[in-house]
This record gives sequence, C-alpha cells and structure tokens, in this order.
Amino acid sequence: MIGVRKGLNDKLISWKMAGGVKQSAADMIERGARNKMVVIGFTIIVFMVLTAVLAPVLPIADPTEQNLNEDELLQPPSSENWFGTDELGRDVFSRVLWGARVSLLVATLAVLVSMVIGIVLGLTAGYFGGKVDYFISGTIDLFWTFPPFLLALAFAAGLGAGLYNVILAISISYWAGFARLMRGQALSMRERQFVEASRALGAGHLRMMFVHVLPNCIAPLIVWASIGVADAITIESSLSFLGVGTKPPTPSWGWMLQSGMLYLDGASWVSTFPGIAMVFTILGFNLLGDGLRDVLDPRMKGLRR
Amino acid sequence: MADLIAYVARKILLAIPVILLATLIVFLMLYMTGDPINALSPPHASPELKDALREKYGLDRPPYEQYGLFLWHLVHGDLGVSVGFATRDLQVGDLIVERLPRTLELMAIGLSISYSIGIPLGIFSALRHNSLGDRSVMVFTLLAYAMPSFWLGILFMLFFAVKLDWLPLGGTTGGFASIILPAITLGIGNAALTTRMMRSSTLEVIRQDFITQLRSRGLPEKEIIYKHAVKNAILPVITVIGLDIGWFVAGSVVVETVFSWPGIGMLITTSISNADFPVVRGCILVLAMFVIAGNLMADILYAYVDPRVRLG
Repeated sequence: MIGVRKGLNDKLISWKMAGGVKQSAADMIERGARNKMVVIGFTIIVFMVLTAVLAPVLPIADPTEQNLNEDELLQPPSSENWFGTDELGRDVFSRVLWGARVSLLVATLAVLVSMVIGIVLGLTAGYFGGKVDYFISGTIDLFWTFPPFLLALAFAAGLGAGLYNVILAISISYWAGFARLMRGQALSMRERQFVEASRALGAGHLRMMFVHVLPNCIAPLIVWASIGVADAITIESSLSFLGVGTKPPTPSWGWMLQSGMLYLDGASWVSTFPGIAMVFTILGFNLLGDGLRDVLDPRMKGLRR
Repeated sequence: MADLIAYVARKILLAIPVILLATLIVFLMLYMTGDPINALSPPHASPELKDALREKYGLDRPPYEQYGLFLWHLVHGDLGVSVGFATRDLQVGDLIVERLPRTLELMAIGLSISYSIGIPLGIFSALRHNSLGDRSVMVFTLLAYAMPSFWLGILFMLFFAVKLDWLPLGGTTGGFASIILPAITLGIGNAALTTRMMRSSTLEVIRQDFITQLRSRGLPEKEIIYKHAVKNAILPVITVIGLDIGWFVAGSVVVETVFSWPGIGMLITTSISNADFPVVRGCILVLAMFVIAGNLMADILYAYVDPRVRLG
C-alpha cells in the first residue's frame, strides 16, 4: 500500500540538493500555521492525542469489562453506550477511545525507532560517502524495494502477535525511507560552508554530524514522520486485522473491525465507529504531512509520493 | 539497443541481492521466536516426535547449512511441506500454484480499475485546475488514500452486500459479481495515487512551450489536449505501473481476507491462524518475487522510454 512514493521522494531529495528553499524547522512551522491543510491536520491530531491520553481518567466504562447479560450484547447506540455495545457487552465508545491509545502508541514508537535507525544510517552514509556510503546505501535500497506492509507482515508473522512485536516489526520495515531522506540531506549539507567552517575549526565527525548537519535536516524529517505515523497506523491496524498485530483483549481498532465484521448485518456499529476513528486519525497525519511538505517545497504541491 | 540490453542485464544482476534478502528474511521468520521445532510440530508433540521431525526438516544441522539447503531447495522449486492440520505434508508449492490464478485475476482487475479511474480523473482535475471539481477530486484522493483497504472493504460489504444486496458478500460463488467488490477495494487506493500523479504530470505538460506554440498555431483545444498534452503526460504515469505491484501485493493480503477470496493473501491469513509456517513463508516469498519483478519492469520501461537513463 505504500510502495509508490519512490520516485517522488527522490524528487524531494534532489530538489533539496539543488539548493532548494529555505527549510529551517521554525520557518516551516511559522508558514505552516497559515496553511489550511496543516491547521486541520494538526487540530485532528491534537484531538486524537488528547482522547488517547485522557482515556484512563475520563468517566467512561472499562474497555475490557464484559457484560454477558442477554440484553447487554450488541446493543445499538444509546444514551448509556454512545457507540453501542459489542458481542461481549463491552462499551464500544470506550474501546474506540482506548484503541486510539494503542494505535497512537504503536505508530509513534514505531516511527521514532525507525527514524533513529534511519537517521544514524542515512547520516553516516551521506556524511562519509565513499565505501561506507556504498555499503549502507546498498542495504537501504534492499529494504526500500519491499512495501513496508509486506516486510512487517513477514516479521510480525515470525515474531507472533503482541504490542512490542508489532512495534519492532513496523520499525524494521519502515526505516529505509528515513535513511534515504537523511542520506540525501547529509550529502547536500556536508558541502555547505558552515559545515566546512566547523571542520576547519577542528570539529570531530560526531559533532559535525549531529550538531551541524542533523539540525538542518529536521524540517523534511518532520514531514516524513507525520506521513510515517499515518502509514504506521494503517500497518498496525491491518496486522491486527489479520491476527498478527496486538493481542486481544488490547482494544485495537484493527482487531475491533475484524471481530465486528461478523456482526455487520444488524450490528454494524461494532465496526463502523472504530473504522471512522481510524480514518479520521490517518487523515489528520496525512493532512499535516502533505501540508507541511507543500510549505517546505511549493513545487511539490499536489504531487504526493 | 545494445545499451538497453546492457542496462537490463545490469538491473537483473542487481536484483539478485534483493532476492537473497527476501529469502533470508523468510528463512529467519522461523527462528524469531526461538526453537523453530515448536512452530513445526503439532501441539503437545512428544520429545521423541520432535527429535524425529527435527531430523526430517533438517533442523539438526548448523544454521548456515540450513539456509544453504533452503536456497538449494528453492532453486529446484521446492518450498517445503505444509505443517497445518488439514494440509500436513502437502507441498507448499502446490498449495500456492493452486491459489495463484485467483490472486493474479484480482490484481489484474484491480489494476485496470485503478488506472481507468485515475487517469481520466487526473486529466479532468488538471484541466480545471483550482476549480470546485478539481478540489473535490483532491478531497476524494485524500480520503481514498487515508482509508485502509480492509475498512473500505467492510464499508463496501455493508452497503452493497448487506444493505442493498446487489453483490455477494464474499467468496467466489457469485461468478464475476464476486470479484467486483474486492477488485474495487484493491484498486481505489492506488487510483487516488494515480489521479494525483496524472494531475501533476498533466499540469506540468500543459505549461510547456510546445503547448503554447500549438495554441498559437490555432489548433483546436481538444486536439492540443488529447493528441499532444495527454500523450506526453501519461508516459511517466504508465512507466511506474510496475511499482504499483507492491501496492497490490500488500493490499491483496488484506482484501482477500476481508472478502474470503481464495488467493495467496487469504492463504497467508489462514496459515497464520493454523500456525502453518512453511506455507506463510512460501506465500510471502512468492509475493516478494512479484514486487521484485514489478520493480524490474518499471526500471526497464523507464529506460526504454527515456534513453538517458541507460547511460547513467
């Protein structure tokens, strides 16, 4: 599902390498505040994050508490259960809220881990160049060939279901995009005068890489991370849907949709509400990423991946 | 022509490490949770049975030898045997070959749908740049892209099968009607991407000088657009068709599961729940080969269309 961004990421990188536009993170955020997509996306994300963080303290039902009375199962939305109840009498509203917690946690951690892998490898390759670059780039390209979902499926099937296994599986599958981006950035940065100046002042490699080159690559990383979180949510929920993601009774959107499918005829609320929440969240991160990218590079407008 | 052949040969050689990585990952899948024998033996197997099976599957050898053997068998088309309850000791290769036509059928129809929606919509959008129609198309692409395919599939089922009862809920018993919903579900996300690419490609072309020159010569607008602009704009979109295989391969696993479509994707899901590891890794390997072939196809098409690429 995420295989097509290839050429366009290269385009983003080559544009950056050509000298491109001003791209400090502060500058991007300032201009982003005037972009409609960024504002809408950001609002959605803040809303979902608040829901996820506040889920344990809100006065809602326990998401795993079953209520097996005949008249509590698969009840339609009511004033008591806003989104109805599922096949085990659990409150769907509360499960959707807790599901946001799981999805956002998995997606954010997975993107953070893959970002760290990507930054370290990409920066090393781009900064040192030569043989180091040759080997690291080769590895990056190998992983880049496969759609992250297919890789994640292989790793998740091998590791088995579970929260940390999913995070691990997504991270191993997703880092190549970050590494490519970072390598391109580092390649263009190392020729800049301020980097040469600090080299002349005797700065070590690590200092040059992480103090001078990395901070100047933050803006495109933010764009990529935002789109990455959206992708990771999709991958996580798809894996859970297939039974290799998070394990029940953890309330995960993908798992809820899977079990809700059985009751589509008659109790469609069991799967529709988690589905809406999921699309809403993915849309938020996509909008933010798309909008910020437009801000960063107006030439890329409307050209996605 | 000679440079094209050299280029293709180089690309094929470069695909070898990618194939090796795919085989290594599926080989390692068995070892990720510790002793692979637990994954391969029936539940509550006695230690004696486990030892016998360990010898049967070659697990008593050192790992590098096992990997070598795995590759050796692969080269001979042997993907091992199933360990699932219902299909124990059947050849994995046979199980996959049996399902393959279904997946190919689904991907082919999905691909046609995604291009027959994406290309016209992209042209429409570009010609009415910034109009209401253009904006609606962009909103559609955003939504379609944000929809995970299994959720879209469930929505389609809910409306067209459960509520309206127009199309079958799943399976293959409905003949051609059965493939409509899964194929649309599979195609629509990629249609969104194609629309966006076609739109920006068309926008780029209609701003070029030769279009202005054609206009100044007084050619009818229709002829300019369809004979000259679209012809140039469509090229970069068509050449990446191979890269879309990745999208369809990943999507097919989920879509087939939603609609109980008996292809390779569905085989993966059922094999995962049956703890049938050899089948899971065989299927993933076959899907990975699709992706590699798709990438190769895109590279070759690209070089064929744009001779500059071959020299680089």
